[in-house]
Amino acid sequence: MTTAAETIIPATATPQVRWLHDQHMGVQQNAVLLLSGDWTIRSLHHVPKVDTPVKEGVKSRIVLRSEMTAFDGSAALVLARWIRQWRAAGLTVDLSEFPSRETGLLTLLDERLVDSAPSPIHKPSLLARLGEVAVDQWHEAKSFLSFLGELVWRGFPLLLAFWRIRWRAVLAEIEAAGVRALGIVGLLSFMIGMVMAYQGGATLENYGANVLIVNLVGIITLREMGPLLAAIIVAGRTGSSYTAQLGTMRITEEIDALRAIGVPPFEILIFPKVLALALTLPLLSVFADLMGLLGGAVVANYGYGVSFSVFFQRIPEVVSLTTLWLGLIKAPVFAIVIALIGCMQGLRVRGSAAEVGRATTVSVVQAIFMVIVIDAAFSVLYNLMGY
Amino acid sequence: MSMTAATGSNHNGSKDLVIDAHGIVNEFGSHRVHDELDFQLERGKIRALVGGSGTGKTVLLHTLIMLRQANAGSLKLFGVDTGSADDAQRQSLRERIGVLFQGGALFTSLTVLENVLLPIKEHGHFDPHWLTDLGMSKILLAGLPADSAHKLPMELSGGMVKRAALARALALDPELLVLDEPTSGLDPIGAAAFDELVRTLSDSLGLTVLQATHDLDSIWRGVDEVAFLGRKKVLAVGTAAELAARDEPELQAYFRGARSQAYWLASQQAKPEKPPTAPSSSSAETT
Repeated sequence: MTTAAETIIPATATPQVRWLHDQHMGVQQNAVLLLSGDWTIRSLHHVPKVDTPVKEGVKSRIVLRSEMTAFDGSAALVLARWIRQWRAAGLTVDLSEFPSRETGLLTLLDERLVDSAPSPIHKPSLLARLGEVAVDQWHEAKSFLSFLGELVWRGFPLLLAFWRIRWRAVLAEIEAAGVRALGIVGLLSFMIGMVMAYQGGATLENYGANVLIVNLVGIITLREMGPLLAAIIVAGRTGSSYTAQLGTMRITEEIDALRAIGVPPFEILIFPKVLALALTLPLLSVFADLMGLLGGAVVANYGYGVSFSVFFQRIPEVVSLTTLWLGLIKAPVFAIVIALIGCMQGLRVRGSAAEVGRATTVSVVQAIFMVIVIDAAFSVLYNLMGY
Repeated sequence: MSMTAATGSNHNGSKDLVIDAHGIVNEFGSHRVHDELDFQLERGKIRALVGGSGTGKTVLLHTLIMLRQANAGSLKLFGVDTGSADDAQRQSLRERIGVLFQGGALFTSLTVLENVLLPIKEHGHFDPHWLTDLGMSKILLAGLPADSAHKLPMELSGGMVKRAALARALALDPELLVLDEPTSGLDPIGAAAFDELVRTLSDSLGLTVLQATHDLDSIWRGVDEVAFLGRKKVLAVGTAAELAARDEPELQAYFRGARSQAYWLASQQAKPEKPPTAPSSSSAETT
């Protein structure tokens, strides 16, 4: 009995090729090629090169003989290629002395083998790719607009017929996107508030204007930082989950199933998400504002001698209510854009698992990009309006 | 197959067993799927594994190809005890088995050719210049047209997915081919063509084939022998006609039920001169 290791990897005999000179074939002289050893996928790299027989003065006929101990499909490919070359060079190949299973395999391969693999679609030039990207972006923008149109077209009637809204789904989305995000939104806002107070305080201290930290932190947090930070966190956290969920549902044909059952996916999947996020993000922004101010207050108190009571007393004096509103108005806009991009990218997934990952990335990048662009647009708008 | 000469002689007597499993026990929690099950498969055979839903066909297949560790029992593959084999040895055993999973399990982000080349690149040592040709030969052997090589799995029809999965299973020139419901979801013509393809490949490549199936056509015409799973064991092994003639109620229900009736009757009529498509060898060793 052999040991286990020997049995698992059968000792391979190197594949070999040898020309025999056959005398007794009579009228026509033949070249006999004897194959021996193991011809398998694992020993293929040992298959020796065979010189084109014409060069060696071989006559018009090659007889193949076998003393092979193994012969598999991959080895058959090598041999089938040789045979094709020989035939192309005007030689006849005689398989009558070759064993029958092996001959069958060669014949089967020869029937199906194509001369060259179809080449993959060649890579487009730089210019072509640039054009492709431009066209893609254009389509992306168009499909976002048409998705927005669909939301308005179908969403408004639904808002009026509010009893048809899936409130259960809306509440579940609010919990997932809002309540569960409180921790991370609160912590990050607190820390950004601290950072602003530190950086601003260091400069203001030089002028003995420590108390102006309140103005700095108050205005920046309420008008910009709170809503922006909340929106970016939600884009990364919730927008991506929308894309992944809808994308996977597309691949598993769940969305088609909904349609077939007669439940419009828009009503049960998309509208509740948009509505929930539009309600949630302003509230998250208020929370982010609050935590940002708190962070600023802590630093002002311990670092720059502006006590908590002074800090919170001064806030209503130096920051107008308008500032708060200017910040909060942006939140529902951010929310709708984030939810729409998340859903749209999810619904456009086709086919593969990798596609879901790609769509999720695109969704987050697009959503954050759009949030910042819209924030900038609001700043310009406010400026024009004189706020 | 090709290794017959190399390994066939040094095992007990005349039988060259590709799979030799004894006392296999598979449990999920307290639910016992297989109880002291024995399973032997001889080299060169095409065997169907049948049984009602929930009898653990897929579980047994996974156990036999070392994807699942049985709760008890011993498993020999190609004469090697998998229990005492180390990781490298188990890996090289796996390379000698090609598997077609139920849904195809093609990698969705890779083209058909890339799917086929993945195992070859991973385990073969090759001239890169040969690789494409080698991958293409597997695709063509599986009966796919050459222009499907650069298609993604999502662009293929159900039948083509099965063939592409077969091409990937053949990639490393396995000795044992394991197919999990290869013809499910195919139309009858496609299913018959697939059976024929498996037969052709088995003959010319010398493959041993084990397939779990529900396809009556395959069971009655496409395979050499059928193993029937029931009562947590392999109840019987033989041709479909032989199993249909037995007394066990499970076998009677399966092989002589309403849907099998036509096949059963046809096999009764054809009895004198043996069904032409069923190869001769199987009746001898089932007794």
